[in-house]
Amino acid sequence: MKLARVVGTVVSTINSPIFEDRTLLLCDLVEPSGEAAGGYMIAVDTVGAGAGELVLILDEGTSARQIVGEQHGPLRTVVVGIVDQVAGPASVATAKPAEPVATGGKSRAGRTKPAAGGTKRAAGGTKRAATKG
Amino acid sequence: MQLARVIGTVVATVKAPGLDGVRLLIVQPLTRELEPVGTAVVAADAVHMAGPGELVYIVAAREAAEALEDRFAPVDHAIVGIVDAVEPIRGGGR
Repeated sequence: MKLARVVGTVVSTINSPIFEDRTLLLCDLVEPSGEAAGGYMIAVDTVGAGAGELVLILDEGTSARQIVGEQHGPLRTVVVGIVDQVAGPASVATAKPAEPVATGGKSRAGRTKPAAGGTKRAAGGTKRAATKG
Repeated sequence: MQLARVIGTVVATVKAPGLDGVRLLIVQPLTRELEPVGTAVVAADAVHMAGPGELVYIVAAREAAEALEDRFAPVDHAIVGIVDAVEPIRGGGR
Protein backbone atom coordinates (compact mmCIF):
# COMPACT_ATOMS: atom_id res chain seq x y z
CA MET A 1 0.00 0.00 0.00
CA LYS A 2 1.03 3.58 -0.56
CA LEU A 3 0.67 6.87 1.24
CA ALA A 4 -0.90 9.65 -0.77
CA ARG A 5 -2.62 12.98 -0.42
CA VAL A 6 -5.97 13.69 -2.02
CA VAL A 7 -5.57 16.67 -4.35
CA GLY A 8 -8.55 16.45 -6.66
CA THR A 9 -11.26 14.47 -8.32
CA VAL A 10 -11.63 13.10 -11.82
CA VAL A 11 -15.05 13.57 -13.36
CA SER A 12 -16.02 11.01 -15.97
CA THR A 13 -19.38 10.02 -17.42
CA ILE A 14 -18.25 7.56 -20.05
CA ASN A 15 -16.39 4.78 -18.30
CA SER A 16 -16.28 1.10 -17.53
CA PRO A 17 -19.36 -0.01 -15.54
CA ILE A 18 -17.35 -0.75 -12.41
CA PHE A 19 -16.63 3.00 -12.04
CA GLU A 20 -20.26 4.04 -12.21
CA ASP A 21 -21.42 5.97 -9.15
CA ARG A 22 -17.95 5.85 -7.68
CA THR A 23 -15.72 8.77 -6.83
CA LEU A 24 -12.36 8.93 -8.53
CA LEU A 25 -9.78 10.71 -6.43
CA LEU A 26 -6.61 12.22 -7.75
CA CYS A 27 -3.93 11.42 -5.20
CA ASP A 28 -0.33 12.62 -5.05
CA LEU A 29 2.01 9.98 -3.72
CA VAL A 30 3.89 11.12 -0.63
CA GLU A 31 6.82 9.97 1.48
CA PRO A 32 6.16 8.95 5.09
CA SER A 33 7.44 12.41 6.01
CA GLY A 34 4.64 13.99 4.00
CA GLU A 35 6.84 15.25 1.19
CA ALA A 36 5.82 14.60 -2.37
CA ALA A 37 7.24 11.31 -3.59
CA GLY A 38 6.67 12.15 -7.23
CA GLY A 39 3.85 10.74 -9.25
CA TYR A 40 0.16 10.38 -8.60
CA MET A 41 -2.61 7.84 -8.86
CA ILE A 42 -6.27 7.93 -9.68
CA ALA A 43 -8.00 5.81 -7.07
CA VAL A 44 -11.60 4.88 -6.34
CA ASP A 45 -12.74 6.17 -2.97
CA THR A 46 -14.12 3.59 -0.55
CA VAL A 47 -13.81 5.48 2.74
CA GLY A 48 -15.14 8.97 2.07
CA ALA A 49 -11.77 10.68 1.89
CA GLY A 50 -11.76 14.39 1.24
CA ALA A 51 -9.75 17.48 0.55
CA GLY A 52 -6.08 17.33 1.37
CA GLU A 53 -6.37 14.22 3.44
CA LEU A 54 -3.53 11.77 3.83
CA VAL A 55 -4.79 8.40 2.66
CA LEU A 56 -3.76 4.81 2.21
CA ILE A 57 -3.90 3.51 -1.34
CA LEU A 58 -4.18 -0.11 -2.30
CA ASP A 59 -2.89 -0.86 -5.79
CA GLU A 60 -3.79 -4.48 -6.39
CA GLY A 61 -6.71 -5.60 -8.48
CA THR A 62 -8.11 -8.64 -6.74
CA SER A 63 -8.09 -6.99 -3.34
CA ALA A 64 -9.51 -3.79 -4.76
CA ARG A 65 -12.43 -5.60 -6.37
CA GLN A 66 -13.09 -7.52 -3.20
CA ILE A 67 -13.38 -4.26 -1.30
CA VAL A 68 -15.99 -2.83 -3.66
CA GLY A 69 -17.79 -6.17 -3.87
CA GLU A 70 -17.21 -6.87 -7.55
CA GLN A 71 -15.81 -10.05 -8.95
CA HIS A 72 -14.69 -8.65 -12.27
CA GLY A 73 -13.80 -5.31 -13.74
CA PRO A 74 -10.80 -3.13 -14.51
CA LEU A 75 -10.52 -1.79 -10.99
CA ARG A 76 -7.10 -1.90 -9.42
CA THR A 77 -6.50 1.17 -7.27
CA VAL A 78 -8.65 2.12 -4.28
CA VAL A 79 -8.36 4.41 -1.29
CA VAL A 80 -8.70 2.08 1.68
CA GLY A 81 -7.94 4.30 4.64
CA ILE A 82 -7.58 7.79 6.00
CA VAL A 83 -4.31 8.15 7.83
CA ASP A 84 -4.46 9.68 11.29
CA GLN A 85 -0.78 9.60 12.00
CA VAL A 86 2.47 8.29 10.66
CA ALA A 87 4.83 7.45 13.50
CA GLY A 88 8.40 6.26 13.82
CA PRO A 89 11.80 7.50 12.66
CA ALA A 90 10.65 7.69 9.06
CA SER A 91 8.32 10.51 9.77
CA VAL A 92 7.16 13.49 11.69
CA ALA A 93 4.09 13.77 9.47
CA THR A 94 0.60 14.46 10.68
CA ALA A 95 -2.70 13.96 8.93
CA LYS A 96 -2.96 17.63 8.02
CA PRO A 97 0.44 19.32 7.79
CA ALA A 98 -1.05 22.32 5.99
CA GLU A 99 -2.76 23.47 9.18
CA PRO A 100 -1.13 25.95 11.53
CA VAL A 101 1.07 23.89 13.81
CA ALA A 102 0.65 25.52 17.23
CA THR A 103 -0.98 23.23 19.78
CA GLY A 104 -2.57 20.68 17.43
CA GLY A 105 0.50 18.62 16.71
CA LYS A 106 1.77 18.75 20.26
CA SER A 107 -1.36 17.57 22.00
CA ARG A 108 -1.91 14.87 19.45
CA ALA A 109 1.59 13.54 19.84
CA GLY A 110 1.11 13.37 23.58
CA ARG A 111 -2.19 11.60 23.25
CA THR A 112 -1.13 9.02 20.72
CA LYS A 113 2.00 7.94 22.49
CA PRO A 114 0.38 5.42 24.83
CA ALA A 115 -1.82 4.01 22.09
CA ALA A 116 0.55 1.50 20.62
CA GLY A 117 0.20 0.68 16.93
CA GLY A 118 -3.14 -0.56 15.70
CA THR A 119 -5.21 0.38 18.70
CA LYS A 120 -5.64 3.93 17.49
CA ARG A 121 -7.85 3.12 14.56
CA ALA A 122 -10.23 6.04 14.73
CA ALA A 123 -13.29 6.51 12.57
CA GLY A 124 -13.53 9.53 10.27
CA GLY A 125 -15.46 11.65 12.74
CA THR A 126 -13.12 10.93 15.58
CA LYS A 127 -10.18 11.80 13.44
CA ARG A 128 -11.55 15.19 12.53
CA ALA A 129 -12.28 15.96 16.13
CA ALA A 130 -8.76 14.97 17.04
CA THR A 131 -7.32 17.19 14.34
CA LYS A 132 -8.98 20.22 15.86
CA GLY A 133 -7.73 19.47 19.33
CA MET B 1 -4.91 4.48 -12.95
CA GLN B 2 -3.35 7.35 -14.79
CA LEU B 3 -4.38 10.24 -16.98
CA ALA B 4 -3.47 9.98 -20.64
CA ARG B 5 -4.09 11.67 -23.97
CA VAL B 6 -5.07 9.69 -27.06
CA ILE B 7 -2.54 10.58 -29.74
CA GLY B 8 -3.10 7.97 -32.40
CA THR B 9 -4.53 4.67 -33.52
CA VAL B 10 -2.98 1.34 -34.38
CA VAL B 11 -4.20 -1.05 -37.05
CA ALA B 12 -2.97 -4.64 -36.95
CA THR B 13 -4.30 -7.32 -39.24
CA VAL B 14 -2.23 -10.19 -37.95
CA LYS B 15 -2.66 -10.45 -34.21
CA ALA B 16 -3.40 -12.77 -31.33
CA PRO B 17 -6.97 -14.10 -31.44
CA GLY B 18 -7.83 -12.35 -28.20
CA LEU B 19 -7.28 -8.99 -29.86
CA ASP B 20 -9.97 -9.48 -32.49
CA GLY B 21 -12.40 -6.58 -32.40
CA VAL B 22 -10.32 -4.66 -29.91
CA ARG B 23 -9.65 -1.04 -30.81
CA LEU B 24 -6.04 -0.13 -30.20
CA LEU B 25 -5.10 3.47 -29.50
CA ILE B 26 -1.78 5.12 -28.81
CA VAL B 27 -1.94 7.05 -25.56
CA GLN B 28 0.54 9.38 -23.95
CA PRO B 29 0.54 9.15 -20.14
CA LEU B 30 0.28 12.54 -18.43
CA THR B 31 1.17 14.10 -15.12
CA ARG B 32 -1.73 15.46 -13.14
CA GLU B 33 -0.89 18.86 -14.60
CA LEU B 34 -1.56 17.17 -17.95
CA GLU B 35 2.07 17.33 -19.06
CA PRO B 36 3.37 14.34 -21.03
CA VAL B 37 5.39 11.90 -18.94
CA GLY B 38 7.11 8.70 -20.01
CA THR B 39 6.70 6.95 -23.31
CA ALA B 40 3.47 6.52 -25.21
CA VAL B 41 1.84 3.11 -25.00
CA VAL B 42 -0.72 1.19 -27.00
CA ALA B 43 -3.93 0.74 -25.02
CA ALA B 44 -7.12 -1.16 -25.77
CA ASP B 45 -10.16 1.10 -25.90
CA ALA B 46 -12.57 -0.45 -23.43
CA VAL B 47 -15.09 2.40 -23.60
CA HIS B 48 -15.41 2.19 -27.41
CA MET B 49 -15.73 5.95 -27.63
CA ALA B 50 -12.27 7.39 -27.12
CA GLY B 51 -10.83 9.31 -30.05
CA PRO B 52 -7.66 11.19 -30.91
CA GLY B 53 -7.01 14.20 -28.70
CA GLU B 54 -9.26 12.96 -25.92
CA LEU B 55 -8.28 13.02 -22.27
CA VAL B 56 -8.79 9.57 -20.80
CA TYR B 57 -7.71 7.47 -17.88
CA ILE B 58 -5.99 4.18 -18.36
CA VAL B 59 -5.44 1.13 -16.23
CA ALA B 60 -2.35 -1.04 -16.54
CA ALA B 61 -1.38 -4.64 -15.97
CA ARG B 62 -3.82 -7.51 -15.46
CA GLU B 63 -6.77 -5.21 -14.89
CA ALA B 64 -6.49 -3.91 -18.46
CA ALA B 65 -7.85 -7.21 -19.79
CA GLU B 66 -10.63 -7.09 -17.18
CA ALA B 67 -11.95 -4.04 -18.98
CA LEU B 68 -12.61 -5.99 -22.17
CA GLU B 69 -15.26 -8.52 -23.07
CA ASP B 70 -12.61 -11.22 -23.29
CA ARG B 71 -11.17 -11.01 -19.80
CA PHE B 72 -8.10 -12.90 -20.95
CA ALA B 73 -7.27 -10.70 -23.90
CA PRO B 74 -3.53 -10.14 -24.23
CA VAL B 75 -3.44 -6.44 -23.37
CA ASP B 76 -1.53 -4.58 -20.69
CA HIS B 77 -3.08 -1.12 -20.92
CA ALA B 78 -6.72 -0.21 -21.40
CA ILE B 79 -8.68 3.02 -21.60
CA VAL B 80 -11.39 2.64 -18.96
CA GLY B 81 -12.87 6.13 -18.91
CA ILE B 82 -13.10 9.43 -20.71
CA VAL B 83 -12.29 12.41 -18.52
CA ASP B 84 -14.79 15.27 -18.44
CA ALA B 85 -12.83 17.32 -15.93
CA VAL B 86 -10.00 17.11 -13.45
CA GLU B 87 -11.07 19.20 -10.49
CA PRO B 88 -8.72 20.25 -7.75
CA ILE B 89 -10.40 19.85 -4.40
CA ARG B 90 -10.98 23.13 -2.62
CA GLY B 91 -8.57 23.50 0.24
CA GLY B 92 -6.58 20.49 -0.91
CA GLY B 93 -3.08 20.80 0.40
CA ARG B 94 0.05 19.15 -0.86
